Amino acid sequence: MTLHPKERPDGTTRRDFLLRSAAGATLLSGAGGLLAACGNSTTVAQATGTSGEPVGPGGLPLARPDKRVVLPRWEDPIESGLKPETGGTFTVYNYPAYLYKKLLKEFGAKYGVDVQYTPFDNINSGLARLASGAVTPDVMEITPDTLDIGVAGKLVKPLNLDYIPNLKKNIWPQLIDPFYDGESRFTVPYTCYATGIAWRTDHVTEDIAGMPQPWDIFWQSQAYKGRVALLSENRETIGMALLRKGITDINTEDPALVNQAVSDLKELYGICNIKVDDIQYQSVPEGSSWLHQAWSGDMIAGYIYYLPKGTPASALAYWKAPHGKVPIQNDCFAICSTTKKPVLSHLFLNYLLDNGVAYSNFVDFNGYQPPLNEIDPSSLVTKGVVPENLADSVLTDEDLGPDSLQYGTLTSVGQQLWEDGYSNFQAGGGS
Amino acid sequence: MYRRWLWPGFAFPGVLWLVLLFVVPFYAVLGVALGTVDPILFQPVPIWNPLEWNVGWLTEVINRLAPGGIWFDVGIRTVVYVALSLALCLLIGYPVAYYTARHAGRWKGLILILIILPLWISYMMRMLAWVNLLQANGYVNRFLMFTHVLSQPRDWLGGSASTVVFALVYGYIPYLILPLFASLDRIDRSHLEAARDLGASPWSAFRNVTLPLSKTGILGGAVLITLPMFGDYYTPNIVSSSPRTSMIGNQIDLYFHGGPQPTIGAALTIVLAAFLTLLMLYYMRSIHRAQRAVGAVGAL
Repeated sequence: MTLHPKERPDGTTRRDFLLRSAAGATLLSGAGGLLAACGNSTTVAQATGTSGEPVGPGGLPLARPDKRVVLPRWEDPIESGLKPETGGTFTVYNYPAYLYKKLLKEFGAKYGVDVQYTPFDNINSGLARLASGAVTPDVMEITPDTLDIGVAGKLVKPLNLDYIPNLKKNIWPQLIDPFYDGESRFTVPYTCYATGIAWRTDHVTEDIAGMPQPWDIFWQSQAYKGRVALLSENRETIGMALLRKGITDINTEDPALVNQAVSDLKELYGICNIKVDDIQYQSVPEGSSWLHQAWSGDMIAGYIYYLPKGTPASALAYWKAPHGKVPIQNDCFAICSTTKKPVLSHLFLNYLLDNGVAYSNFVDFNGYQPPLNEIDPSSLVTKGVVPENLADSVLTDEDLGPDSLQYGTLTSVGQQLWEDGYSNFQAGGGS
Repeated sequence: MYRRWLWPGFAFPGVLWLVLLFVVPFYAVLGVALGTVDPILFQPVPIWNPLEWNVGWLTEVINRLAPGGIWFDVGIRTVVYVALSLALCLLIGYPVAYYTARHAGRWKGLILILIILPLWISYMMRMLAWVNLLQANGYVNRFLMFTHVLSQPRDWLGGSASTVVFALVYGYIPYLILPLFASLDRIDRSHLEAARDLGASPWSAFRNVTLPLSKTGILGGAVLITLPMFGDYYTPNIVSSSPRTSMIGNQIDLYFHGGPQPTIGAALTIVLAAFLTLLMLYYMRSIHRAQRAVGAVGAL
């Protein structure tokens, strides 16, 4: 006897399957409770030191603009007066397209090395790859809030500043001996930027800069639904929501404050179907985004590269909060512990701080301002490097200082808190 | 003795492949998900000994996915998007595969090449191309306005769920059509002729013969596209980037993208794999039953 497929010779019906699936799902949902009974841990690291003070990775003290930290050297810097290594490859480890390749070629030609540029997605994942041995760069970009990982993990080498005279000669005084790296033991500054709001003046009608609380614009952006976005960075999104409520402690580890900020951010789903991305330097000039949380360098880069022909520079606008209320950050460069060319690495850092090199990297390529004494903000506007309506994108050394706002390293508990808060926001669940 | 091991020996490369590229990596993910985190570098420290496994991260993930958890909505959303995409893929893909297998004649080869052609370009590039096409002033809006389907440009890229589902369908449909075509092409026409001779209408013959006999192809194609869809994160990122359209894959990406809890990403991967295993079990059981049924029909 032959059977038709519909006769289901092996018995189980679709109904049976659904019933069993439901039973399986019930078992799965109960698995959480069973697993919890086994004992568990989600602690990453100790968040406090021996005397109860909050500490970062490796037990290092947390640096803040009003609390300078001198990081311990885990080895001696190289001796002074050594000759640079030549030949072979010299690897620069950085964000994609964040350093002018022409300048790298010039450096390579000067010292007889082949300069290779290895990109990473972000500093944390870059450090992870470095720690795993997947990459062996000579120098890398690092940020003040990730420097502790680099130092405690022995991933970046102590500097000998004798090789880097341009630091004292050319750089803003606040960054010669910065609060996050006292005595510049491990880093030199690379670029600096503020976090603010970029918008298209031909679409957004509000006078954002004139609003009592300009960050409120995101919560009043119903008219721009689908064209509004925030930076895809947990510190920036949650930090912005804190600042909107007048909370200037952007390094807080108070769960109530962080959770309230996340809750506020989730209101934006319904208001403007908020988007989260890091392409503001392109999307705002091109007009696909009309209102975007942005770094100050983005609009300068956008003006240089992405503003379509026929669109006037006045279509772009940028606002940043006044001193003491605006998050300011600076990127740095450090020498990786994997380098086989430590002397040349020092010379590279010095090269980056050369007035001509740093200025060219800024105006000819990435739009992110180096903290050079020589750059006169007003001259950038008069020379046409920066259009007048984007003058707010330019920083001065006075934007830094003990009363400035800067994202600093958090304790491991704080990092988990902010990361989970951001995950909650990104999950797009009920607001 | 030699003959005894000869034929099983042919399975050795496949078994080796499976062990090296599936079992070992999967155990590594398990070790990470049930492991700890380096306190300085925030790198996962896998625990290989099951007796020492730390279930904390896994518990945390299950709690977040449970009703009321912060990931409940994104979990449901992912299932809905994948189910809708699969349904649309079947609605579009089945007729294409059916036509190609049954009626394309000498054009069969060309049609298959055209179906495969998009796969020559990377998935990412194809999606980015759609971003251009779907712009407010892009060709899609221009065409739809020219044909009066739309009176004004639609904001396709404004964080809409339909665009994400459309992109998933576009991205994965070739992987459904190919196994479906292979399955339909293999059906012996004499079965259909027999059905028609016995008085079945074309629709009845399709419903009672072709459709059941193509079940292996439908399920094979469905498995082939749903498994990667569940872990997809770049499609919603590229065509939407709204949290309201994010999927489970975006959360895995978030936790693997640097930060102090990469173990959460690994634990979420394990939970997703467990869920997909349930679907796979259904697939395997259905395949087994369908193969028996095909054998039965073939014996007619």
